Amino acid sequence: MNTPKIVADFRAGLASGKLLIQNCSDCGKPNMWPRYACPHCQSDNLGWVESAGQGTLHTFCVLRQGAPEGFEEDLPYAIGVVKLDEGVQLLVRLEPDAPDDWSSYRCDDRVSFVAVDAEQIERRPCARFRRLAA
Amino acid sequence: MAEQWTLHVGPGAPNDPVFVGVGELPTGKFPDRGFIEALTKVALLALKDAGMAPKDVDTILLIPNLHGAADQADLVFSRMVEELGIHGSCKSSYMVHSGGSTSDNAVRSAHGLITAGHAQTVLVLQAERWGSADLNEMITMLSKNGIPGEWELPTGTQFNAIGAMITRRYMHASGSTPEEMASICVTLRNWANLNENAMFYRKPLTVEQILASRMVADPLHSYECPPMADGACAFVMTTSENARKRGITNAVRVAGSGGCVSHYCLSQERDQAVLGWPLAAERAWNQSGWGPQDADIAQIYDSYAAVTAIAIEGIGICEKGEGARWFAAGHGNPGGKLPMNTNGGLLSAGHTGVGGGTALLVEGIRQLLHRAPAKRQVEDCQRAIIGGSGGSYMDAQILLLERTKLGA
Repeated sequence: MNTPKIVADFRAGLASGKLLIQNCSDCGKPNMWPRYACPHCQSDNLGWVESAGQGTLHTFCVLRQGAPEGFEEDLPYAIGVVKLDEGVQLLVRLEPDAPDDWSSYRCDDRVSFVAVDAEQIERRPCARFRRLAA
Repeated sequence: MAEQWTLHVGPGAPNDPVFVGVGELPTGKFPDRGFIEALTKVALLALKDAGMAPKDVDTILLIPNLHGAADQADLVFSRMVEELGIHGSCKSSYMVHSGGSTSDNAVRSAHGLITAGHAQTVLVLQAERWGSADLNEMITMLSKNGIPGEWELPTGTQFNAIGAMITRRYMHASGSTPEEMASICVTLRNWANLNENAMFYRKPLTVEQILASRMVADPLHSYECPPMADGACAFVMTTSENARKRGITNAVRVAGSGGCVSHYCLSQERDQAVLGWPLAAERAWNQSGWGPQDADIAQIYDSYAAVTAIAIEGIGICEKGEGARWFAAGHGNPGGKLPMNTNGGLLSAGHTGVGGGTALLVEGIRQLLHRAPAKRQVEDCQRAIIGGSGGSYMDAQILLLERTKLGA
């Protein structure tokens, strides 16, 4: 199956250094993850807005073993849930403080979107965030 | 305030559905125990416990396996009807599936079928071969269950990562220490030490051992992650009228249930330290007319310690934020104020996939039937809280079960 358009558009945004949020052109509400119909008003008149890329880290973990197939060489890696200031949330990769070290991270830390090159997004099509210094 | 829904059947009514028998095979690694063999044996154990034979069953509800599609197809296409020799007389055989909460939904389904008259006697069957399956295959399979492939799989998330994120948020919100979290696993092990069917029977465990085990997904240590196991469970429900006719005087009925599907992707849950439990509990209390203080035991999904701590807070068994400390104080232990997961739970009896919740349920029914081995039977057990959850803890499901006298 071809990649659905909403997925391709979201990933194209990441590849060009932008975190896109789906936005309903009828009710004006943001949706994450992107949907095929607005879950608030059921409209299919859906567009995109660029996120300011700022948010709060709800929770995270550092996976050290048991990676899914194809992710073994990434170990260890950190993933977390970010609540964006726009009011939607998503699962992201977290940038280490130093190689293999995420020891500065705490729940409710302020975090910021990190743009990476298209090649990295091609390999791992997910958003990356980093902790903002207090 | 949750809405008020009443059950359309009450205690003593001829069509009030009751549990009359349970069966279980030992949980652990049994590579030589076949899938259909396990299902057949456990079905016969449950029927024997109910004083019944296969011919007394008109409906089979199947709880899925997660180890393989070919075995799943055998379930879906009614193989067990033929294996039990009831082809022709059996009215219906089908699968119910909502991951870890399947058993709760299977009870709701059987309860509705029996109450409305679509079924008289329902046999619910479960078997899993996780302990004998290829571990890497299962990790990859589990990365596609309850995790959206297009949005979240690219991060490399999997089941322990999900458990770890919930644990991290719970510890942050409640101020629980690693020692307090580990004490939940120790309580479960204390119960498993009384259960000969448990994977970790007679294998004592301490907080120190847990905290010294390797870090798998910070903050989860390996001894805090569920051990994949083979297992099989079954139970029988029928009408009160049929049970009475068969000379059964004591059975177990459903006093009420409540549920809440709070998310699909874990990232979409607004508060991972709360999940759907408060709303599910309010619905369950409304329907049953009883409260947490009325229960004699609780059997709450425990694939990770934090999942259970969060659940008991939402259910109202302890104050918000005190779930882990409630266990650390020994309240869920044998002899504690509310015996919790008296089979050892998923973390110590073994995680049999969708069957982990089924084993908790079956133990709850067994305790209410007063058929647990003496060393772990809770005295005068009358009421049980059953709690289940599936996928990325997408739902909170509560069944409130009570022992009932059927009379002459």
